[in-house]
Amino acid sequence: MGLFRPARTVTGPHGEYWELYVSKTALPAWREGKAGSFEDGSAYGGRADLLELPFVVVSAVWGTLIAPLLRFLALLPVSFVRGRRSRAVRIEAVSTFPREVFLWTTTDDGVERVLDEISAGLASGKFVQPLGAVYSGRED
Amino acid sequence: MLRQRPTAIDLLRTRCIDAYDLVEQSPSAAAWAAYMQTTYADKLLAADPKLHDGTIDVVSAAYASAAACLDVARGGGGSVPDAPPHWRTPIRSNEQLAGMRDALEALRTYLAYELHDENATALARIDAERAKVERLWIRRPPPEIRGAIGSALAIGLDAAYALGRETFASR
Repeated sequence: MGLFRPARTVTGPHGEYWELYVSKTALPAWREGKAGSFEDGSAYGGRADLLELPFVVVSAVWGTLIAPLLRFLALLPVSFVRGRRSRAVRIEAVSTFPREVFLWTTTDDGVERVLDEISAGLASGKFVQPLGAVYSGRED
Repeated sequence: MLRQRPTAIDLLRTRCIDAYDLVEQSPSAAAWAAYMQTTYADKLLAADPKLHDGTIDVVSAAYASAAACLDVARGGGGSVPDAPPHWRTPIRSNEQLAGMRDALEALRTYLAYELHDENATALARIDAERAKVERLWIRRPPPEIRGAIGSALAIGLDAAYALGRETFASR
């Protein structure tokens, strides 16, 4: 069981390629913050806009990259420990083009059977709902 | 010794105190409805005494409805609801799930006794939901699993309520 190596690969009836990942860890969501807003500098002419530009760039980088990354790294150990302590297992089916992720949640004693059923379903073009597993649909 | 003031829940529960006896002494659909909802509320209260997130709403509604059903069973008029109270949100806490499961087990046992058959076919719908719950029942379940367990238990409780009404209506 690993986060980065697929447990199964499946090809659908129309050539869709799926990778099934099994993991106990639900990675923290990537949440972008709001970049700081700046006043319209038109009253001071184009010069004010130019002066604000570095702040706008720094704010955008902070909001879209640095703050979400810090949040992700801060929550990652919590997610990892929570996953280790639970008997719940996540099965994610990932297609590459277009990239889509579908989630099932099951328990550790049913993983192989549920994986078999999901694989067989995807191979025949279906999203199955195996007994002992919860299908949550597409992940955003 | 200090006496605690009775809470609103205690007062509601007092009105349902006869539900356990009445279903034995004068079985009817209304007496069953009162018994079922009192059992449900009692089990929820025992599993979640702090009444978190919505438990108080369902427990209060179940006791109030059980009291009304007792009035119907005693010939006081009124009607029996089509289903026990439902939750307003889809994800249950571990305590709420424990209370719902205890209630379903108690009701299933009661119905099997009434039907004189531990494996009666009429119990199949309830048992199907119990089987779903057992497959998913783990410690510290994530929200996805709690949602699925809560849904199966709610369907099972509705099925038990309906089967009891059907069984006792013919008495």
